[in-house]
Amino acid sequence: MKHKLLPLSETMHYILLALREPLHGYAVMQKIEKMSNGTVILAAGTLYGAIENLNKHGWIEPVENSGRKKTYRITTEGSAVLKMEQERLLHILSLYEGREANEEV
Amino acid sequence: MKRFKVFFNIEKEEQWLEEQLQKGYRCTSISGLGIYTFEQTDKQYVIRLDYQDYLSKQKFAEYKGIYEDFGWTHIRGSRLSGIQRWQKEDNGQNEIFSDRQSRASYYKRLMNYSLWLGMICLAYSFMLYSDSPLYHEGLWSMEGSLFWKALLFETPFVLLKLLPALMAIVLGSSCYKAYQKYSMLKNL
Repeated sequence: MKHKLLPLSETMHYILLALREPLHGYAVMQKIEKMSNGTVILAAGTLYGAIENLNKHGWIEPVENSGRKKTYRITTEGSAVLKMEQERLLHILSLYEGREANEEV
Repeated sequence: MKRFKVFFNIEKEEQWLEEQLQKGYRCTSISGLGIYTFEQTDKQYVIRLDYQDYLSKQKFAEYKGIYEDFGWTHIRGSRLSGIQRWQKEDNGQNEIFSDRQSRASYYKRLMNYSLWLGMICLAYSFMLYSDSPLYHEGLWSMEGSLFWKALLFETPFVLLKLLPALMAIVLGSSCYKAYQKYSMLKNL
């Protein structure tokens, strides 16, 4: 059965991509704002809930000795999820470009 | 300015608080007994209510830390379970949820909370009403003005006794409203 977080929502996608380097909550939001050219600005409750959820599923983990603010980074499992999503999106992109569709016709 | 208010519905409370803030106030404290304290301000503030289930000390600190980083001030809320009230200066980024999924899970938390609290009230009402009748039994055999005086005397106590049943109804309707919003967001 498909995991309940898949396909990744835009929020989850950006958070996993941002956490390829260790960051604390607020820094994740700032990085995502830059990565998305200002189109995705996460709110506090959404970010807290998403971090909780990703951590619970073992896709991100807290970095040890990170001081007052908890810092997270992606896990191997999380990276595998990103890889899977990348393949899914690449396939969709290829459909956009009409390569595979043309072969069928 | 101090105001006394009791809410059984989190969205009504948020609405009412927002109305006060729009009149040029900011909330400085909320006491457990329902006393809301405001002070006048030139700046525009916004207030948002979140609901969280039990949080460990560590989780609660992390939860508060993230909100505070975003500029929110915690006005009131217990980590053991309950409504968390957040206020901040209006700067255009005034929401605590920025996507559909997180808004849906907020309504789901709210739905479960009203459901449980409502069930407890309902169970308590059954216990209360099966033990003894609402009015004293001797009341109905009284006559004339004595009957009316006794009825008048007992009625406030009866209303008080009916409170858990009324709360169960209010909570039941909040639960249904939260469910409607949850399923709407879920099926969009």
